Amino acid sequence: MKPFTYVRPADARAAITAAGDGGASFLAGGTTLVDLMRLEVMTPSAVVDLSPLPLTQIERAGDGLRIGAMARNSAVATDPLVVERYPLLAQALLAGASQQVRNMATVGGNLLQRTRCPYFRDLAVACNKRAPGSGCSAIDGYTRSHAILGTSEACIATHPSDMCVALAALDAVVHTRGAGRERAIPFGEFHTLPGDHPEVESALEPGELVTHVELPASPFAAHAHYVKVRDRAAFAFALASAAVGLDVADGKIRAARIALGGVATKPWRAVEAEQALIGQAPNRASFERAAAAALVDPKPRRDNAFKVALARRTIVRALELAWGAA
Amino acid sequence: MSSVETPIAVGMVAPSFVLHDDAGRPLSSSETRGRPWVLAFARRWTPGHDAGAIRAQLRGLGAILFIVSDAGVWSFRPDDDIELTAGPSRRLRREIAELAARWGVDAREDGVFVVDDHGAIRFAHAPSGELGATLATALAAAGRELIGLPPRPGITRRDWVVMSLVAGFGVVLLHGCRTPGADRPPAPAPVAVKAGSDVDVVLRINGQDRRLRIDPRTSLLDALREHLALTGARKGCDHGQCGACTVLRDGHAVNACLTLAVAAEGAAITTIEGLARGDQLHPVQSQFIAHDAFQCGYCTSGQILSGVALLREGRAKTDDEVRQQMSGNICRCGAYPNIVAAIQAARKEV
Repeated sequence: MKPFTYVRPADARAAITAAGDGGASFLAGGTTLVDLMRLEVMTPSAVVDLSPLPLTQIERAGDGLRIGAMARNSAVATDPLVVERYPLLAQALLAGASQQVRNMATVGGNLLQRTRCPYFRDLAVACNKRAPGSGCSAIDGYTRSHAILGTSEACIATHPSDMCVALAALDAVVHTRGAGRERAIPFGEFHTLPGDHPEVESALEPGELVTHVELPASPFAAHAHYVKVRDRAAFAFALASAAVGLDVADGKIRAARIALGGVATKPWRAVEAEQALIGQAPNRASFERAAAAALVDPKPRRDNAFKVALARRTIVRALELAWGAA
Repeated sequence: MSSVETPIAVGMVAPSFVLHDDAGRPLSSSETRGRPWVLAFARRWTPGHDAGAIRAQLRGLGAILFIVSDAGVWSFRPDDDIELTAGPSRRLRREIAELAARWGVDAREDGVFVVDDHGAIRFAHAPSGELGATLATALAAAGRELIGLPPRPGITRRDWVVMSLVAGFGVVLLHGCRTPGADRPPAPAPVAVKAGSDVDVVLRINGQDRRLRIDPRTSLLDALREHLALTGARKGCDHGQCGACTVLRDGHAVNACLTLAVAAEGAAITTIEGLARGDQLHPVQSQFIAHDAFQCGYCTSGQILSGVALLREGRAKTDDEVRQQMSGNICRCGAYPNIVAAIQAARKEV
C-alpha cells in the first residue's frame, strides 16, 4: 500500500476541503478502497475518513425516503421503512456480498463501487480504467464476467453493484455537496458510460461528496422482486440480475420498472422492456415479450454470449416472482 | 405543582400514556391496571418470527409488554394483542415522539422499563445495542427465573413476576454490555497525519483502551496481530473474502483486514480473546467444541464471532438462513454442517 495522508475531518465542509485537490479518496466502509489500495490499484495521496460525519440516517422525506450516504448496507436492508416500502432495495442489498461486508459497506460507497474485472485488479496487465491509455486486456481476454451492454472499445468492465440496480429501478436521486454547491443527480445520470474515458465512472467532480440518496414514493412495493443469478448461492457477483417492479390496476400493467445488473457497464434501465409491458395483462406471455424487447443491440464477446439469453430469462423470472405467479 | 416533568427514574410512579391510530383507536397504559408491565422502545423491531415466542413467555409471566418501534406500537397481552400501525399515522408518530421524550429516550435510541402492579418503575435501562433482538431472550430469562426458584414467603406472585422481569432484562442487557457495542468509546477528535508519518491511536479492544503509534496504512488485523499480540483473528486472504479475520465492531461482524486501524478509533472491538468470561466459554465457543465444528481451526475464530453476531442480531433462524448469513466465513476443511449445528445449539443458551 502506498503512503497516504490520513484526514479525519470535523464535518462535511472540512471533508470536502480536504479532498479538494483531486488526488484524495473519501473513505466510507473501506470494503472497496482498502482492498484496492492494498493491491495498489488505487493510490490516493490522501484518505479522508467520513466515519465521523452524521450521514447514517434513514428517514421519511415527504412521501419518500432519505437514506444517508454513510448508512450501512445491513442497516438499510433491515430498516422497517425500507422493508415495507422498498422491498426491492432490501432484497438487492441482502443479495450482495457477505454479512461482514454489508456491515461495513455504505450507500455512498456502494454507489462508487469499482468493477471486479480481473484485469483492472492486476497491475501486470493493461487496463484503460486503471491506467488510462494503456489498452484493454479484457476485450481479447477471458470475458465470462464482462458486460454486453454499454461497452466501448476502451472498456467492457461490468458494474458490480446489486444495490445500484434496485436504486435505478426505484428512480433514486443522488444528493451531493461540493465546494461551491449542492446537487441532486437523477440516478440514470449518476454513473457514466466508459466511452473513451473508462477511468471516469460517475458525474461527481473532485472533492464532491455524496450526502444522501432520496427515493420517491413507490407504487411498486406490492409487486417487486430482485433476482440474482450467480455461480454460487451466496457471496458471489451477479452474472445477471434484474430488479423489477409492477404497478397493476384492473388486471393491466399501469407502470413497470426493470433494471439489470451483471450485464452492463453501469446499472442498466431496460426502458424498452418497461414500455412493452404498459397496458398488458401481467402474464408469462407479456413478460416474455418484454424480455425480448430488452437488451437492445447487445455486444457479446467470446465467453459471455450466454448473458443475452440469461438476462432475458432473469427478467421473466423476476417479473413472475414480482407478480406472484412463479 | 411544578410544570416541569420529573425525569424518569427507578422508584417513581410511571406516567400514564395513551396512543391513537388515525381511526382514533386508543392504546393506553390504563389497561395494565393490576398487572406488571414492560415498556420497550425497540426502534427496529418489527413483528416477525419472535412474536410467538414473546406471547408464549408473557402468558407464563402474566405481564403486559408494550413495544414501541419505528413501524408502530404493539401491546402484547397474555390474552390478546393490540397493534397500532396504520402507516404509522402522523398522529401516532407524534404521540410516539412525545412518549419517548417523556420517558427520556432519544428519538433513535432503544430503552426498556419494567413497571410493577402498583405502577412504580422498578427497572430502567437504555441499552446501546439493538433491543429488538433481545426482547424474547429477556422474557425467556424472566420466565426461567420465575420457574427456577420457589417464591419466598411474603412475596406475592405479582412481586415475583416483577422481580423475574427485572432479573431477566438485567441478565440479558448485562450480557449485551459484555459483548460489544455497549462500551463504545467517545468519538475520536479530528486529525490530519501527513503521508509517511505515524499516528497515535487509542483502540478499545475487548473493553480495554490500547494505545498505539502506527503507520496509518496499518489494518486493524495487523494492529491486533502484530502490535497487540492478539493473534486469534487470522489473516487468510487479506481481501475480505475469507472471513478468518472477522471481529465484532460495536457488536457487528466486520472484516478486520479491510478496516484501517486508525479508522477504528471510537468503536468497541471484540476479538475471540474477549469472548469468554474467565474460564467460562461463550455458548458459541462451547458448542463449537461439543459439535466438533472445526478441523484445522484456522477459520474458527472468525466463524465463532460471526456466529455470535448472528445470534445477537437474531434474524437468521433456519439452517439455510444461518448458512446464508455465515457465507462470508470460508472453511477450507469443510466443517460447515457442524458449524451450523453448533450455532443452532448455542441459540438456546444465549
